[in-house]
Amino acid sequence: MSGFDLDVDAARWRRSLGTVTETRPRLVPVIKGNGYGFGRDLLCRESTALGVDTIAVGTYDEVPAALAAFDGDVMVLTPWRPFFVDAVIDDRVIHTLGRVDDVAALAAAAPGARVLLEGETSMARHGFDRHELAAAVAVLGDLRVEGFAIHLPLRSVAPGGNYGEAERWAAALEASQVETTTLYVSHLTPGEVGALSARRPHLDIRPRIGTSLWLGDLGALSVRATVIDSHLVARGEHIGYRQRAMPRDGTLLIIAGGTSHGIGLESPKAVSGVVARGKQLAKGGLEAAGLSLSPFRIGGKQRWFAEPPHMQASMVFLPGDVEAPAVGDSVDVAVRFTTATFDAINLR
Amino acid sequence: MTSEPPLVPLSVRPISAAEHLDFVRSRPSVSFLQTPAWAQVKNEWRGESIGWFDGSTIVGAALVLYRQLPRLKRYLAYLPEGPDIDWSDGDVARWLTPMAAHLKKQGAFGIRMGPPVITRRWRAATIKQAIADPVLGSLSDVPADERDEAAIELRATLSALGWKEIPTEGGFSAGQPKFNFQLPLAGRDEADLLAGMNQLWRRNIKKAAKAGVEVTTGSRDDLAEFHRVYAETAERDSFTPRPLSYFQRMWDALSAEEPDRLVLYLARHEGDLVAATTMVRVGEHAWYSYGASTTQKRDVRGSNAIQWQMMRDALAAGATTYDMRGITETLDPDDSHVGLIQFKVGTGGEAVEYLGEWDLPLNRALHLGFTTYMRRRG
Repeated sequence: MSGFDLDVDAARWRRSLGTVTETRPRLVPVIKGNGYGFGRDLLCRESTALGVDTIAVGTYDEVPAALAAFDGDVMVLTPWRPFFVDAVIDDRVIHTLGRVDDVAALAAAAPGARVLLEGETSMARHGFDRHELAAAVAVLGDLRVEGFAIHLPLRSVAPGGNYGEAERWAAALEASQVETTTLYVSHLTPGEVGALSARRPHLDIRPRIGTSLWLGDLGALSVRATVIDSHLVARGEHIGYRQRAMPRDGTLLIIAGGTSHGIGLESPKAVSGVVARGKQLAKGGLEAAGLSLSPFRIGGKQRWFAEPPHMQASMVFLPGDVEAPAVGDSVDVAVRFTTATFDAINLR
Repeated sequence: MTSEPPLVPLSVRPISAAEHLDFVRSRPSVSFLQTPAWAQVKNEWRGESIGWFDGSTIVGAALVLYRQLPRLKRYLAYLPEGPDIDWSDGDVARWLTPMAAHLKKQGAFGIRMGPPVITRRWRAATIKQAIADPVLGSLSDVPADERDEAAIELRATLSALGWKEIPTEGGFSAGQPKFNFQLPLAGRDEADLLAGMNQLWRRNIKKAAKAGVEVTTGSRDDLAEFHRVYAETAERDSFTPRPLSYFQRMWDALSAEEPDRLVLYLARHEGDLVAATTMVRVGEHAWYSYGASTTQKRDVRGSNAIQWQMMRDALAAGATTYDMRGITETLDPDDSHVGLIQFKVGTGGEAVEYLGEWDLPLNRALHLGFTTYMRRRG
């Protein structure tokens, strides 16, 4: 069925995956959440084709399917906690640890389990303070340390940026009692990983990559939202669940793609800077007037929602002077792939 | 539900020097800056011994040094490397609140203390590796080999009680150093100590012996000779030397307390004094306190020979820690202080971080005036 679909130019997409894999030696693909729009199973199969030995998933909930779809090791990015009821203990699973108490608890619960120790970076999300590492090592018991992990922000404001922070952690790891030479990193450029490897030849630096691998060539991807219905409306006509009055004469389009597809989800925008903030405020002004810009593009412009998106379709208003697409036609949608769910993913 | 038995409030009152000394002797170790004799060394301050009492039993003690504010009958109450109380008691307020009340009654506008509590330790091998690594510029950058969670929590507790940590610059403050270097002696023998040292230290100790360097202990009369070399060192390393009378006063005060509290060491080569040091010991803790060496004849390694003799004597006296005192936090090879750390690291000991020095303002205005005055003084 065609509705809210992702069309993938498979040859082009796989070329991009191949290029990233070649330029990022020892990479660990990250496959978590909605699978960057592709779904996790598809990405697991692609990872097998890429020939990588390890993938990283977000949560324990995602582990069983990953173990089924991928033959190598599966590391879990969310640190293990004693109160997790779905933790999967399997010899192919690599757990992340970030608290001394948790190290002792996992050592007791699953002796022999494979683990990563994570350092708390400027992200301040999970991980050990560097001065806790000796205490963590002291309670390792039979746990097998497979590596050390750092999760960096997109861009660190620490001296030297992400590279500086990564190098300080690499140095701390080497001076610590943690006996591993494998360092898993995120959000370092290929150049930064190369420089770090050159400066720290004893370390095996493995980048964990999600977005820039799977969404590395957006040109290979197109999102198609099918026009399901179309009605001419007059100014002042009341439409929709909320019976809102139309601002002008025009066309009301019913387009596949609603909240269940990730349309209309709002999250704080990753904006910084005065201009960007100003734009957001301006947009907020229109939103305050009861209108919202939709992600659907018709005639080269983003169009306004006629009312808040429904679960599976959206109602979009098109002014009368714009030529409306026909029922069955598809329109472009600007989606956020990490929150999108498609009705179908078509590898062509 | 169970409930803890209510804690008996502790009381604080002045004690005599004799009572204080008795308490010091009952303890495995306290800082030599917390012995009653130290008050006589610091004669520009007024000293007072205070005790903590649980009913009629003395359970803690401190030496308080009062420094008067210019023209005012108000004082800063300073407890260097003290007080000597049970810092592992979950309720330090039970100790500090009656202390503050007592000191306030004595005219203190503020209290400064240096809890003798170690928060983190770094082994020699770790520090050596860190010095070699250009990315690790200070001890705080280097993962500690040991960390005492309860001690670190004291930080938050003291802050909550209104105490403020005195910021240090690179580990140096106007008061006592926050970072120190210590050689653990417990359960070790001479062979073991030597084996723990780096090659350079072992070679230099051998070299000194081969050159015929002789290390002896001296008497009060030898302090003058020590002072001559000490003044030479001061000029070379550009610091202001203390007068001979200071060392004589220290000798008289500390020796009166225990005959071997303070020991003077002299290293001679063919009759020439090449190095001289003092060692202080309280119970199981021995400190290398002052050191001096001549510029002539450095190659006979008098400094290594004299250190080795102090370490062996500390070991023989039953000490569990040989303390080489302050280091800076820096591990930057370009920093001039790093040489001192490297010298100490060569012994195979460990760097320790103390909780630092803390202030409790009792009179905000006077305290602010005092800290501003101290900052201007530099």
